[in-house]
Amino acid sequence: MSDSQPIRSTRFRAEREADWLALETLVKRVESGGTGQLDFQESRSLAELYRKATTSLSVARDISLDKSLLIYLESLVARAFLAVYAPQERLSGVIGRFFGGSASAAVRRSGWAILMAFAALFLGSWVAALLFNQDPAWYYTFVPAELAGERGPGASTETLRAVLFDTEGNLLAQLGAFAAFLFSHNTRVALFSFALGVFACVPSLLLTIYNGLILGAFWALYADRGLGTELFGWLSIHGVTELSALALAAAGGFRLGLAVLFPGGLTRKDSLRAASKDAVKLALVAALMLFVAGLQEGFARQLVTDTTLRIVIGWGIGLMWLAWFMLAGRRAR
Amino acid sequence: MARRQTPAELARKLENSRRWFELVPPEGVPIRFEVAGLAARFGAQLLDILITVVVMISIILLLAVLPFSIEPLVSSLAAILMLMIRAPYYILTELFWNGQTVGKRATGLRVLGADGRGLTTHAVVARNLMKEVEIFMPGTMLLVSGSVGTFWNLVLLLWIVIVLVIPLTNAKRQRLGDLIANTYVTARPKSVLLPDLSGSAPKLDFDFTPAQMEHYGRFELQTLESLLRTRSETRSSNVRRVESLVQVAAQIRRKIGYEEPVPDSRAREFLHAFYTAQRAFLEQKRMFGDVRDDKHHRDDD
Repeated sequence: MSDSQPIRSTRFRAEREADWLALETLVKRVESGGTGQLDFQESRSLAELYRKATTSLSVARDISLDKSLLIYLESLVARAFLAVYAPQERLSGVIGRFFGGSASAAVRRSGWAILMAFAALFLGSWVAALLFNQDPAWYYTFVPAELAGERGPGASTETLRAVLFDTEGNLLAQLGAFAAFLFSHNTRVALFSFALGVFACVPSLLLTIYNGLILGAFWALYADRGLGTELFGWLSIHGVTELSALALAAAGGFRLGLAVLFPGGLTRKDSLRAASKDAVKLALVAALMLFVAGLQEGFARQLVTDTTLRIVIGWGIGLMWLAWFMLAGRRAR
Repeated sequence: MARRQTPAELARKLENSRRWFELVPPEGVPIRFEVAGLAARFGAQLLDILITVVVMISIILLLAVLPFSIEPLVSSLAAILMLMIRAPYYILTELFWNGQTVGKRATGLRVLGADGRGLTTHAVVARNLMKEVEIFMPGTMLLVSGSVGTFWNLVLLLWIVIVLVIPLTNAKRQRLGDLIANTYVTARPKSVLLPDLSGSAPKLDFDFTPAQMEHYGRFELQTLESLLRTRSETRSSNVRRVESLVQVAAQIRRKIGYEEPVPDSRAREFLHAFYTAQRAFLEQKRMFGDVRDDKHHRDDD
């Protein structure tokens, strides 16, 4: 033991202290104002000093018993890590990537889940239509009262027709209709069928079938009165987008549920995480589509009353969605 | 007879009761972060909700100035505005401010990617979308819970209980959204570089033999370090500190068999010298694989 020379860990510290302090100054600046604060040279030295500090930490953990030094290095490296590995995103980049390919790729990857959702929707409609044709009283079983309003087997054909071609109301009423729509039945169904998909798909499947039942009951009622084409037009103008949104939301739920049911080689947690990458994008796409459907239902449906035009607009927009899903981001791969 | 717990073991227990998690960044050196406390997270959430609600109300007030009446729509408008302000607010702040919303900034919290490679856009979006489902949907339903039936109230209650219990069941206090997005919430680390005690040691006229160094381990050394580092603000606490230094010096001298007398006025210098010598000795031993975690020479188990 030499009294003349400082001990090893003290020398270790003395040799590196200047670097740590320089790193701390840089990290402080990044913490207060973001990485944009630094110029090129400073960013380079931030990365370099961070790596040096991690090495120091690793060595200090082994050789030093100076508690305060260890605590200091632990927290300095932690802060520097946060500064160096901060997300370097721009808003335009995030949005551009979402629309330019990542969302559509997620939709393309979820083809089977989406097919499953549409199948459930059609199954529900088909069953409801069959049952309605046997006994119209089924209508009341399927369609909740607040959704049915004055539409029902007891209503006259004129009343039913009037609902389809209601053009009353000003801008304010349309805004109200839009607002009401967003928090209406379908949005809730979309949200639940996405979120509850985790529970092995079952709740999502039931919800989607149930939604199909409502649709089928409506359909059968109007077809019964010879208003099938008119209903098709009325539904098309917002329903193509809206029902697709429901199907996509349910498909997102299915992806989660399938990941839980069939994790393959991964653990269930990892498999769920992997599936959530696509599922979250499906949910965002569904939310966007519901928003557009709200605009269509609130404004376009009131402004356009011609059945042919309604069908053209509705399916035209539907085609545009399809084109986005099928084409965007294909060239990249 | 069961052996009594030594102070070192107690201290280790105390240290372990603070929750930590380790990230392994690409550099390969594990970095320790402290798990954020539930109270801080709750406070941050409350502040964020407050901010979004204030923005929402001011927009509605602005709309109210417009020439037509919005009265019949206020509630649905408020619900939409909340959703359209809230979701982007959380996502964009966490993405561009490196895992911090305004509330998290105020309470010193941060979101971290658990894989040690920084936050990804997906992680931020996923954890905040789950927040809608976890917190805001039951929250909104709670406001209208009077108008739905008993069954749905029970479902709501169950949901809230589950959401509240999940963070308590895992050591890293992850809520459902954190689990899915693979993120942690951490308390922001602070760092203060204190002077090296051994470096600033005064001229040593205390000599220790290697045999005298055999008595203590890491825990005792670091306890001594804390004692030497304490600063006293008031006169009375200073008197008490000097007294304890004298006591500790006497105890150490007795234990290691240090024969020469040390006057009370030099107790601090003695302890300083002893600290430096002991640290050099233990670090030397450690380098050759002889790790002494406390005076019983027991390793961390």
